[in-house]
Amino acid sequence: MTAKLETAMEQIEIATGVLVVGGGMTGVATALEVARQGYPVTLIEAGEKVGPAAESRPRTGLPDARRLQDMAARLAQTDGIEVLTATRLDAAAGVAGDFKVWLSTAEDVLERRVGAIVVATEFDTAPLYDGYGLTPGGAVIGQSELEQRLAGDPGSFSGKTVAFVAGFAQSGNPMVMQRIFHCVKALQDAGAAGVYVYVGDLKVADDGLEREYRTGRDRGAIYFKLKEAPAIAASGAQVVIGFHDPVVRQQIEVTADCLVVEESLGVGAQCADLAAILRIDIGPRGFLQSDNIYRFPVATNREGIFVAGASREVRSLPWALADARNAALQVAEVLGDGTRLVPRDKAVVDIGKCTFCLTCYRCCPHGAIYWLSENKPVISPVACQACGICASECPMDAIQIGGFTDDLIRGQIAAKLAQVNGDPAIVAFCCQNSALPAGEMAATFRMSVPAGLRTIQVPCAGKIDLQYILDAFVSGADGVLVMACHPGNCKSERGNTYASWRVEDAQRLIAGAGLEPERLRFATLAANMGTDFKAIVVDMDQKIRELGKSRLH
Amino acid sequence: MIVAERKPLEEIESMLKGYRRVLTVGCGTCVAVCLAGGEKEVGILNAELQIARKLDENPIELGAACVERQCDMEFLDELQGMVDQYDAILSMACGAGVQFMAERFEDVPVFPAVDTTFIGANRDVGWYEEKCRACGTCVLGMTAGICPVTMCAKGLFNGPCGGTNNGYCEIGNDQPCAWYRIYERLARQGRLEQIMEIHPANEWRNQTPRTLVQAAYRKRKELAAS
Repeated sequence: MTAKLETAMEQIEIATGVLVVGGGMTGVATALEVARQGYPVTLIEAGEKVGPAAESRPRTGLPDARRLQDMAARLAQTDGIEVLTATRLDAAAGVAGDFKVWLSTAEDVLERRVGAIVVATEFDTAPLYDGYGLTPGGAVIGQSELEQRLAGDPGSFSGKTVAFVAGFAQSGNPMVMQRIFHCVKALQDAGAAGVYVYVGDLKVADDGLEREYRTGRDRGAIYFKLKEAPAIAASGAQVVIGFHDPVVRQQIEVTADCLVVEESLGVGAQCADLAAILRIDIGPRGFLQSDNIYRFPVATNREGIFVAGASREVRSLPWALADARNAALQVAEVLGDGTRLVPRDKAVVDIGKCTFCLTCYRCCPHGAIYWLSENKPVISPVACQACGICASECPMDAIQIGGFTDDLIRGQIAAKLAQVNGDPAIVAFCCQNSALPAGEMAATFRMSVPAGLRTIQVPCAGKIDLQYILDAFVSGADGVLVMACHPGNCKSERGNTYASWRVEDAQRLIAGAGLEPERLRFATLAANMGTDFKAIVVDMDQKIRELGKSRLH
Repeated sequence: MIVAERKPLEEIESMLKGYRRVLTVGCGTCVAVCLAGGEKEVGILNAELQIARKLDENPIELGAACVERQCDMEFLDELQGMVDQYDAILSMACGAGVQFMAERFEDVPVFPAVDTTFIGANRDVGWYEEKCRACGTCVLGMTAGICPVTMCAKGLFNGPCGGTNNGYCEIGNDQPCAWYRIYERLARQGRLEQIMEIHPANEWRNQTPRTLVQAAYRKRKELAAS
């Protein structure tokens, strides 16, 4: 069955302001792009300055430094952009189209109402001295310190020998190499006597990096690609670097006046706080985005909250600026002309039944639920993705999902089971994002599936209520399959996890009541796994034939 | 709120052994919030009972209802027309609700479907922590908001005892020492001198069921009694 199409719609007003968090170039570009679309922007930056000064990317030798400065300068000349420096996001409430945010400046806490939020913070860098068994000081410095010195007094490197080490204390990264290439050029311009670069991985897969590498080498920089880090002995004002040169096959020693240690490119310090304030999921490496194949690159688990540039991944400047443009497009998608047509019955809370236990609020993976003191919980039709997790967790059955109400689904269970004659009756609850299309594929390819199989479409496995499973057995099912997306593939982040927990619980319950728990099975699929769908249902049919008909008939 | 836990099906089944028509009644307040006895749990319990009894070849006819609060007589009145059709009532409320139900429908056996566990707070979905023993003598004002009756294994009003062990209780390292925590928080709030105030011991012996009438309603109670 497909969802009802005759759903009544209603038009709602939404706020069109946009908050951009982070004043590096990603934030600047986002603010400019969003403003260009005609939406008012508030740009906040924790530091004192916005633009290149708030960047964590190379601070020296930026080939397009002038262009970036000009971009930042355009902020002040663009109507509808409010720039607040030394300002942090303190708190946020509400949902897409109607966020309230509290911004703490040096003097005050400001309140703004916005329709969308873009997090465009920068990454953090830290020299990896430990990874090379070095202590900073004397001739040993970190990459950032070199960049600062080159920006301040490049002449001090005239006639000096400088060596870099990278790609041994962490896996290689084009951005690490880019910083080195920029410094190599600056050192060569300053008249350094020699530049040596020792690398584990020499990664140049980004715009123009190969050219920068070659130009530096042509001007005399010497690169050594080694299997292991060179031996480094620091003694006062110099370092001695010993290594086996794989080309000349000899042990070589080089003395340098300065050894520059690579830096890690990590999650910005603000990210964890921002994730908590904005209730957005954190990915495995600590960045502000969980992996989800259903989302556009800059989207988060919450509608109306986007992440761009280094807040979601360490990205080079061109990629971060592309993110900024993408985020602006996504913002326009959400805000439109300030009105939005939404289905009235997407997710409806029966306020009379609701006991305000906050279970729905706590379980919603999309942060789509908030509450009003006078009106109990509200599910935002803009932010809600209609996965139905809340409806299945509600202890009062007070939430109904349009097209998938309890009455509709329970009616289907009874009606479909009534059609089964003789064969083992198997009810398969199928997530419409994976198992359902997999089943359709099996049917299209004319794979034979058991005659007693009856599928029931759900918007997400998270909608499969414990009671639907028990109902199916009471109504005469010999077996029940709960078919969800693979771990980590759920469109609603945790719907498949909830479903697997409920199946475990239901197995415990039916075993307690005297029914074989093997009659209930949880399986995961992807949409293109028609053959696997067939294998699972055939296996279940086999199992049921071994167990015999349910004694509940 | 009051936190309860669903009884094992086996225990419920044994209570209902001789009954063929049973009305299961949920409670829409504390036990619904702690996911033990709301409308959903009524449905689930009924399905379990239905399966179990059918397999036992002793089928049962089950009714389902859920009232706002079983500890208020007015809400129990809503069941008036239904109760007659059943041999027994299975209440999913806390001990107070079950007793009010039994008092309201004195001719019908009322059985509890949950174990009332404690007065607690909700840490996360389905996760509750005991916070109050309803001792009737709240000392939280002088104990920095940490209840020593609940949190201290000895329920000491004046602690800690000699068994405090690097922040934990002598009964085991999973249990923080309440008085250590109280000391820390009082110190943090700059009112450590309050720990020196001696609080008289509570009278725990010979306790009888307590009745509370809020001051503003004492006259109302007198009127009702006369």
